[in-house]
Amino acid sequence: MKAEKNFPLVRCAGVAKRYRKGSLWVTPLESLDLEVPRGEFLALMGPSGSGKTTLLNLVSGIDSPSEGRIDIGDIAVHELSRRKLAAWRARHVGYIFQLYHLIPVLSAYENVELPLLPDGQSKRDRRERVEAALSLVGLADRMHHFPRELSGGQEQRVAIARALVADPELLVADEPTGDLDRESADSVLALLRNLAEEQQKTIIMVTHDPKAAAAADRLLHLEKGRLLEDQHVK
Amino acid sequence: MLPFTYAVRNLSRDRSRLVQSILGSALVVLLVMGAHAMNAGMTRSLQSTASPRNVLLLGAGSEESMQRSEVSEQAAGIAETSLAGVESVLGQRAVSPEIVHMATLLTGEGQELRGLVRGVTSKAMLVHPEMVIQEGHFPGPGELLVGRLAWRRLDVSPETLAVGEVLTFDGVDLRVSGVLAAPGTVMESEIWMPLQDLRTFAQRDTVSSVAIRLREDAEVADVQLFTRQRLDLELSAVSETEYYAKLARFYAPIRTMTWTTAILIAAAAVFGGLNTLYAAFASRVRETATLQAIGFSRFVILISLLQESLLISMAGTLLGAVIARLLLANRVLPFGAGAIELDLEPSTLVVGLIAGMLLGFIGTLPPAFRCLYPPLPQTLRD
Ligand SMILES: Nc1ncnc2c1ncn2[C@@H]1O[C@H](COP(=O)(O)OP(=O)(O)OP(=O)(O)O)[C@@H](O)[C@H]1O
Ligand SMILES: [Mg+2]
Repeated sequence: MKAEKNFPLVRCAGVAKRYRKGSLWVTPLESLDLEVPRGEFLALMGPSGSGKTTLLNLVSGIDSPSEGRIDIGDIAVHELSRRKLAAWRARHVGYIFQLYHLIPVLSAYENVELPLLPDGQSKRDRRERVEAALSLVGLADRMHHFPRELSGGQEQRVAIARALVADPELLVADEPTGDLDRESADSVLALLRNLAEEQQKTIIMVTHDPKAAAAADRLLHLEKGRLLEDQHVK
Repeated sequence: MLPFTYAVRNLSRDRSRLVQSILGSALVVLLVMGAHAMNAGMTRSLQSTASPRNVLLLGAGSEESMQRSEVSEQAAGIAETSLAGVESVLGQRAVSPEIVHMATLLTGEGQELRGLVRGVTSKAMLVHPEMVIQEGHFPGPGELLVGRLAWRRLDVSPETLAVGEVLTFDGVDLRVSGVLAAPGTVMESEIWMPLQDLRTFAQRDTVSSVAIRLREDAEVADVQLFTRQRLDLELSAVSETEYYAKLARFYAPIRTMTWTTAILIAAAAVFGGLNTLYAAFASRVRETATLQAIGFSRFVILISLLQESLLISMAGTLLGAVIARLLLANRVLPFGAGAIELDLEPSTLVVGLIAGMLLGFIGTLPPAFRCLYPPLPQTLRD
């Protein structure tokens, strides 16, 4: 079954996540419903501990829900085993972290190449894609630099290239500008904006920065594990 | 798969850890190879001393110890003349009456040497055809024949026992007349003298044993039958193989001790290594979590971590083997009644290699487990 063009890419229904903490149960998310259409750039805000990262992890298949269902495209992600999830993530989701999480012993090129390795493409195909991704984030000339030789903003752009390179339909970003100065943050936001508009990427971005949130199509607030508002920024 | 370069570059993250781990694995490999070489040498020396065609006549009831055994003059004489199935060389029957005696000799400098002295006749050479006089000649009255490695067992310089040197036994000067070689056997670390001389020194009219070389077609059972028919001679026949096998069993505790010591020290090194690996992998928890988030399975990451550790342990193995070669090859160690010559046999190298591999594997699994097992959302936060 091929999903229709205007069918939401991300569909969460009645999703809950619970953790055991000693004898207590922590419930970062409760009966959450969320739909994100293809090509939408969604911003998530909320106080610390409100469950934002937990939600991103669920949507990106890094974690599994305690209750409810999560469909991404035509895949029921909540039903996949840990091993299948890893393979699914490699193809369908790009994860962008606040602290970039680049591998320090690999060059920018090698970092961006990583998501392509499990797929077994030829070296030449990989090279084309890596170079295209690095050009897209404006770092084609820094290919052979190591993370320690890059600025924070450049590192984050390499991380975005890494998230993009396998051409996933979904990008999730956890405070991608949280550690950057204004100028670098603006260039990262412009880049994300551009990806949503030009490449029809669906982006879910957690942020504490209202200015970052303003770059998105839509803003949601998470409070104590529940979605409170649904504001259309644009 | 993760690129091999990832494993290789990870090595250079912490130079001191790298050096430490290589030295640690080298130590373990060296110890394991040392213990193996020692035991192999021990076994080899006892095995090559024993010839399957040789039988020992010992006093009944003293089958375990040549030193305690007494064989009467008469019994030795009858065996020498009338036993069937004995090999003969140029008309001489290969029957060698021998005395072994714990003696104290004085060197020219007055140093006391305590060791086994064996009294023999020239027929000893017929029973042990692998023995050769490497230098000098067979001892006549007032002379001594020293084993090639006797100096090592007696803990003196080789010159002390060189041909022409004089040793004093109960106030009598004895000259070293020759050097005996019988590669791999315990006899190489003995001192020999004429049977008659030792009989006088030891003041005994019995001998300790009679060594006999059988014809190819004869069997130990024939000799045993003889001792049972002539109970009056109070003899017992033991094949040399059996005698030395018993001796080897007697040394089993030493063997166990060598291995225990080696394994204990190795275990300490492994725990030290585990600790540094724990620390090294712990500092990479978030990184391996990132790799999982990107889509690498835990198994693939484990393979990469194993590659990294195996590179280290194989470098250590190489170093350990080189040190073992410098330290152990052709080294002679005193042991029990003899000395053993260490040699780096292929089996020792293989054992060292396996130890190195196991070290790499087993040492990696617990730290890797701690790094890879916890749930991904948790490790990504670290
Ligand atoms: N693996 C876990 N085990 C136990 N509790 C957890 C786990 N993961 C998250 N939590 C709890 O769930 C709640 C929500 O955490 P989450 O990281 O989703 O918040 P957040 O909105 O991302 O906060 P921040 O803005 O600080 O990043 C917190 O109370 C946290 O302690
Ligand atoms: Mg968070």
